Amino acid sequence: MLAQVFSAVDACASTTADTAACGQTYSDFLRQWLTVAIFTGVAFGMGAVMLGIAAVLRPSNKRTGAYQNQKRIGYESGVDPVGSGWTQTQVRYYIFALLFVLFDVEAVFIFPWAMRLEDYGTFGLIEMLIFIALLALGLVYAVRKKVLQWL
Amino acid sequence: MLLGFEAPSIDFHALAPEIVVTATLAVLILVDAFTPKQAKSAQSSIAGLGLLLALVPVVTLAVDGGTRVMFEGAFVVDTFSLVLTGLFLVSGYVVILLSQTYIAEGDYWEGEYYQLLLASILGMMVMASARDLITVFIALELLSIPAYMLAAWRKRDLRSDEAGIKYYLMGVFASAVLLYGMSLLYGLTGTTMLSEIATKLAGEDVPSAAVLAIVFIVVGFGFKVSAVPFHTWAPDTYEGAPTPVTAFLAVASKAAGFVALMIVVFGAFPFRVDIVEPLFWALAVATMFVGNLIALRQTNVVRMLAYSGIAQAGYMLAPLAVAGTVGDAAVQSILIYLMIYATMNLGAFAVVIAASRKTRSGELTSFAGLVRYAPGLAVAMAMFLFSLAGIPPLGGWFAKFGIFKTLVEADSAAGYSLAIIVGVNSVIALFYYARVAKTMIMDDVPDGDLSPVQVPVSLRAAISITLVLTVVFGILPQLVAGLTDNATLLSAVAVP
Repeated sequence: MLAQVFSAVDACASTTADTAACGQTYSDFLRQWLTVAIFTGVAFGMGAVMLGIAAVLRPSNKRTGAYQNQKRIGYESGVDPVGSGWTQTQVRYYIFALLFVLFDVEAVFIFPWAMRLEDYGTFGLIEMLIFIALLALGLVYAVRKKVLQWL
Repeated sequence: MLLGFEAPSIDFHALAPEIVVTATLAVLILVDAFTPKQAKSAQSSIAGLGLLLALVPVVTLAVDGGTRVMFEGAFVVDTFSLVLTGLFLVSGYVVILLSQTYIAEGDYWEGEYYQLLLASILGMMVMASARDLITVFIALELLSIPAYMLAAWRKRDLRSDEAGIKYYLMGVFASAVLLYGMSLLYGLTGTTMLSEIATKLAGEDVPSAAVLAIVFIVVGFGFKVSAVPFHTWAPDTYEGAPTPVTAFLAVASKAAGFVALMIVVFGAFPFRVDIVEPLFWALAVATMFVGNLIALRQTNVVRMLAYSGIAQAGYMLAPLAVAGTVGDAAVQSILIYLMIYATMNLGAFAVVIAASRKTRSGELTSFAGLVRYAPGLAVAMAMFLFSLAGIPPLGGWFAKFGIFKTLVEADSAAGYSLAIIVGVNSVIALFYYARVAKTMIMDDVPDGDLSPVQVPVSLRAAISITLVLTVVFGILPQLVAGLTDNATLLSAVAVP
């Protein structure tokens, strides 16, 4: 805000008597930044309204009995959970998921290219070969780092 | 109905620096996959050589001159992008010198470290040439994602994990904000080309949503350059990350953020400075004061350098607040500042890395009496610190001079007020820079251990390179000024 006050001061200093012009720049500026202010207000307001409605509608945390105990159970798609929530998953699945993403993305780019193979011609072929070679490098790396061995 | 496809004409000379770095990256992956664990030290040499090799086409392109435009204007090689590509390659090379022993001696993954570093540098190089929203965004992600991982490179260290996670979460949040702004901009103008956006936004009546889009984009990049109030990740990330990575983030990554800001502000919003200027005025003032005042209270040298880096970002934001009046002069003063800042800040980090080989800590008190057992390191550090403070004849003075000159040339209330604030902050900054020098030179060695510090060759080389450049830039500023003389961004924009 200050900076615009400065530039308004500049405008007034240079055009001496043209105070209307200075006032005009200033109000233009305020109007533009009003958008930002309104947007910020709406963002915060929406959060407040949603959390507020939830606070009014939901059963209070202080209520004792059935609600209290049920709130402490882990949520598992509406069914009562079996066992502890802290089960362990094989970390290996994570590596496979990563490799899957690698080839998934590759497919996304290769399908459109394959659909219009003739149009893209030699240029497209070379481009795609470079692309596949670079991705294959990732696979070579994964194999050499022994991430594809299960045990 | 399918449209015909026309193969784009590719200027391989213009793309050569990027191609060389990509090829080096491929070689690194192959070498890493097929060499035994003991032979990993070759990685740093290959990565360093690749970066130096990529400098060759940068030089030939600079000698050749002219502007090369590719992909319908989305990728431009001109003086601006060449200067920055050179800056990223050289600072990347110095970071590799800093990393060599640090990474080899610790229990780190060596191969992947250099691969990620190179990938990040590649992203920065693309950023320097990008003139299109999508290219800018891809470059930003390419430089950020490897950096998130590098920040967490100290395995089994909670602080490093915290550094990586904080940097990642804040970075992704910033990307989301940025993308939101970009999508608004695309929706309003129907194009992703920056120069076309500039023309579409030029009229008298600007849609309200455009203001939002501009603010979102500036805020998104504000995270990257750690401008206050988007700086909260920086100190923790800088302290927790391995020190060479901190140097990389504080110099190269920050420079890339500024490049993105300049490209977008001058490429897409040159006719909307009425919105951009006050935003930068406020950001610059907040960044300078908060960075400097918090740096005063730091007891850890790396954390102090982090906050000083935030303050330095404030100085670099200042010319953007008068972008409308001074035009390309703002670009040139920021470029000069980035180059000089990179040399002196990398040098300061190099000395911290060298000295912590003995002190094993970044605390200021552990550096006490450094001059007794490592006079060379202490003198070098003092020179880097005084250069950061802006004292002639060291490089920093010319960087600051350029900022002052631009601000005063604007001849407006905003410019003069910023110049005064930059001046006040330079004085505040001198206090904490000088305090480090005082501790190193006047205080007693904490435990009386006067055994010398073993400084490996690579660190010696890094300190020598940065020290020589810091002094040369200070004595012969025309060298660095000459590089940026023709660096313009506005020339590409058609005046409506």
